[in-house]
Amino acid sequence: MQNENTSPRPPERVKHEYPGKLIVIEGTDGVGRSTQTELLKNWLAVEGYGVTVTGWKSSVLISNVIEKAKSKNALNTITFSLLYATDLADRLNSIIVPALKAGLMVICDRYYYTAFARDVVRGADPQWVRKLYGFAVEPDLVFYLKMPLDPLLRRIITTRGSLDFYESGRDIGMSTDLYQSFKLYQSQIMFEYEQMMGEFPFVVVPADETPDKIQRCLRQHVGKLLDRATNPEAMLIS
Amino acid sequence: MRLQKKHDFPGKLFVVEGVDGSGKSTQLDLLRNWLESKGESVIFTEWNSSNLISKTIKQAKRSNTLIPVTFSILHATDFADRLENIIIPALKAGLFVLADRYCYTAFARDVSRGVDKEWVRNLYGFSIRPDGAFYFQVPVEVSLERINNMRAPGFYEAGMDMGLSTDPRESFRIFQSNIINEYDSMIDEFGFHVMPATKTIHEQQMLFRKKVSELLESDN
Repeated sequence: MQNENTSPRPPERVKHEYPGKLIVIEGTDGVGRSTQTELLKNWLAVEGYGVTVTGWKSSVLISNVIEKAKSKNALNTITFSLLYATDLADRLNSIIVPALKAGLMVICDRYYYTAFARDVVRGADPQWVRKLYGFAVEPDLVFYLKMPLDPLLRRIITTRGSLDFYESGRDIGMSTDLYQSFKLYQSQIMFEYEQMMGEFPFVVVPADETPDKIQRCLRQHVGKLLDRATNPEAMLIS
Repeated sequence: MRLQKKHDFPGKLFVVEGVDGSGKSTQLDLLRNWLESKGESVIFTEWNSSNLISKTIKQAKRSNTLIPVTFSILHATDFADRLENIIIPALKAGLFVLADRYCYTAFARDVSRGVDKEWVRNLYGFSIRPDGAFYFQVPVEVSLERINNMRAPGFYEAGMDMGLSTDPRESFRIFQSNIINEYDSMIDEFGFHVMPATKTIHEQQMLFRKKVSELLESDN
């Protein structure tokens, strides 16, 4: 059971040397991450690359514990933070690292940047959270899908139909007015992402464009990473 | 980090640490009787017992598929949940909180599993610093002797995930010695009150009560 990620190192991150590539798609709720992930996955397959997709909070070990705790609204900041870190640690060990070793392209729909944004908004110490995730492999490419607040709020409300307790930051008691709380929470999350643009090598992608246009942009960068000729027009929506 | 600072809650937090079989649970139980006999309200909490996650940890241990980091964060989650739901409210209410194992258990075990020392200390940085941390010190030889008389150790208990030895007992011996060394190195780092295991249960308890009384007096 010896594993490369058994010994977490504090912040100075080291590039992995696995044959596969780790691509991360980040952004707040509602920016279209899943659509883009799906399109990218299909395209990579057409180009002849093996792909593994893994979503935030999806480990067999812990995701149902998170769901249960959230449904009771029973989580405090630190427990919340640690549960998500456990989830990623488990997926790194059981999905991400084995796939990278096997030379696959791994697409992560959200990665530790999501925790850096959310946990800090919930009051966790930024340094503490960054060190906490010191065990995680550094990605080869990170896309940040960025959208202005107002269209984003409209999009979340129309697609979800109603506002989610945690997506609205109601657990941290920002406002008893659900919409105000939601707006405040999402804008703070966005602020944290903006801060990270200087700290990490994000590829910033304007997310208020059409899905096809966003996808072309992602493919262009992934193509460069692969260092091989690719056809960015294959399998688009329109 | 909170672990480095003295808390200012009205309650008191005392914790016991040490390897299995060091007698710490017996001593903590006797201390509880004593405190209650003096009319104090006491809350008791032990390692890996939260409603949120302890079942998940036990299940995961059975499947033998955990890597040290996941193992480490799972225990921290259990601890965070108990800290917020049991320990802190009781301290705020002015109660005595007695903890059978605290974050130092993770520092000893996880580091013995090869997890980075600084990383795991940061991980538990949210912990409340105890008013007294009592380390029930058992020399490696004595601990190993006790181990020889014990049932076969469990997979993680024996550190079998570390690949120290294919023989569970041999693996346990090596792993246990590493844990004791980690505990010993924390005596100065965290100001443990060392309870020598060579004394009788009664002598130890008298010493334990005396130290607790002194700590309470020095605070008033």
